[in-house]
Amino acid sequence: MVRLPQQEARTLLAIHGWSGVLLGMLLYAVIVTGVASVFADEIGDWSSPLAEVPAERFPPNSGAALKAFAKTVDPQFYESTFFFPRAGGRLYTFFHRHEQDADGEPIERGVHADLDPATGQVIARHEGTGEQIEQLDAPNALANFFIDMHVRLHVPDPWGLLLTGMLGLAMMVAAVTGFVIHRHLIKELFTLRRHRQKLLAMRDIHVVAGTWNLPFAFILAFTGSFYSFSGSFGIPVMAMIAFGGDQQQAIEAIVGNPPAGDATPAGIGDIDAMMADARRRAGAEVSFLAVEHWGRADAHMTLFMMPAEGQLIGTIYTYDGVSGSWLSEKPSLGKVPSAGGTLSALMAPLHFGNFAGIASKAVWFALGFAGAYVTFTGMLLWTQRRIELPAWRRFGRGVAWVGYGLPLSLIVVGYAYFPVRAAGGDVNGAMMNLFLVTAAISGVLAIVLSPALLRGVLLATTGVSLAGLPLLRWCSGGPSWPQALASGHLGVIAIDVAVLLAGALCLAALRRRRPAPRKAQPSVDATAAGATQA
Amino acid sequence: MQATSNSPPSSRLWPRIVLAGPLAFITAGLIMGGGALWLPEGAEHIDNLVLPIVLFPAIWALVFFYACLDRRIGRAYWVVLIAALVNAALIARHLIRS
Repeated sequence: MVRLPQQEARTLLAIHGWSGVLLGMLLYAVIVTGVASVFADEIGDWSSPLAEVPAERFPPNSGAALKAFAKTVDPQFYESTFFFPRAGGRLYTFFHRHEQDADGEPIERGVHADLDPATGQVIARHEGTGEQIEQLDAPNALANFFIDMHVRLHVPDPWGLLLTGMLGLAMMVAAVTGFVIHRHLIKELFTLRRHRQKLLAMRDIHVVAGTWNLPFAFILAFTGSFYSFSGSFGIPVMAMIAFGGDQQQAIEAIVGNPPAGDATPAGIGDIDAMMADARRRAGAEVSFLAVEHWGRADAHMTLFMMPAEGQLIGTIYTYDGVSGSWLSEKPSLGKVPSAGGTLSALMAPLHFGNFAGIASKAVWFALGFAGAYVTFTGMLLWTQRRIELPAWRRFGRGVAWVGYGLPLSLIVVGYAYFPVRAAGGDVNGAMMNLFLVTAAISGVLAIVLSPALLRGVLLATTGVSLAGLPLLRWCSGGPSWPQALASGHLGVIAIDVAVLLAGALCLAALRRRRPAPRKAQPSVDATAAGATQA
Repeated sequence: MQATSNSPPSSRLWPRIVLAGPLAFITAGLIMGGGALWLPEGAEHIDNLVLPIVLFPAIWALVFFYACLDRRIGRAYWVVLIAALVNAALIARHLIRS
């Protein structure tokens, strides 16, 4: 409970409302796609399963497969390499060199491959810049669509990152002011009254969900705006001040990568043995492998481990790339522990919620969902209280359009992804086109239909679209449930069931009615306004 | 802000919005950049570079809430502008010397 002078409390209340109203619709889009992105790995596995589920992230002989592929790569791209599992367990690798584009921005150019984890064979191979290769990455495209909207709203860098950074700041402001203006914080954690007035019932649910969600909303907003601003703004500023504008040099200095030394050609060590050693040391699975200066005497390997049980952050080990001998345990930034490195390392688990597998992801999903609900109901409450004014009535239609139309537009991208991918077409273009068409149709419906009818139509369409996705996935070449059971793809069945349940919930929600816009009723509105302000 | 009898007139509102909006953001950016020059480097010589980036949202929030809540807007302008100018001067001096 925070006691503030009346003037400051009023100012903070106004900031709380306006921070949500001015940027609420975009913030809602970022939160909704963030909720989906929590399960981006699982969405990738669901949308693009291989014939068999790999038993480990890096099955035996993964390193040997990487070395075999490296022999087919032009040595000009040996400067840096990533190696980690992605959709369906495909082992993704990208041999690349660092360049600057026409604007002086750092980019990566090289050769990418997806390796089959069972056989080590190359499933897909592309050459180009990192951005071009991502456009051709069909197995991960569905998950990437959600991630790209969450990270930059599909707006090109740096503007998209700056925009989502601003939205993160707005969310942080809403969380801080929400905490300060609640005069009865503890009481409101448990206050869910049965109101005959739907507006008051909605207000109670908004406050309870928002109050429980306050710490989480603050953490997500802080870490999210850190991620958005660090790449688009923070690193360029620091590079200008401390590294003469060279962003790549700034990143390498901060990360603590060893500088290029001995360029004498040399073979690469036993990667599988290094991974086995790292597993033994950490008591956890390897998450990610990075190799600097492949094929040279100064080759250097960094193994990023999954967090061990009970840990928030995974360990990082470095190895001599030629001899394969263990060199050191490395902090996420720099070569020895530092305050900045420790603080920075905390950002990832706090934002992604991936430190305890599915369990922590499920919690992050639920809290994120509550955050989306609070954002949506906050905008609804704000507009309902001002429904007599035509401008706010129009804004209310916009809120309903985004609130119900955005989830529908996101769901239907699956209807572009599965058939277009099966036909070998441009999945990214098809998904974006269908997303925009659905959003436009929802927008037209928001203008011509009453809010109650709009909600019904969009919710029903979302429910039906969700219910049809597993069938579409199967018809587009994905495994049926008996096939999935036989090949151990339990995750595919689990997501199918989750999608069907979500569809059923949307259809069930049609039975509940939202409060219809109505004439002002002073007693109720005053109560709702006062309650909301409390 | 909501147009009620308790709301400040727009003649007082817009200077506050300018201060808490663009000026607060620019000032936070300058404090972040200036931090690279006045924060301790730490054992790994990266703390002065990393901490301002990680704490940028907090720096902005401090400047923003101060700009919103100081009852004397003239003083708020002075404080925010001085913080911005001091850090801008530090950055300019460093860039000229290097």
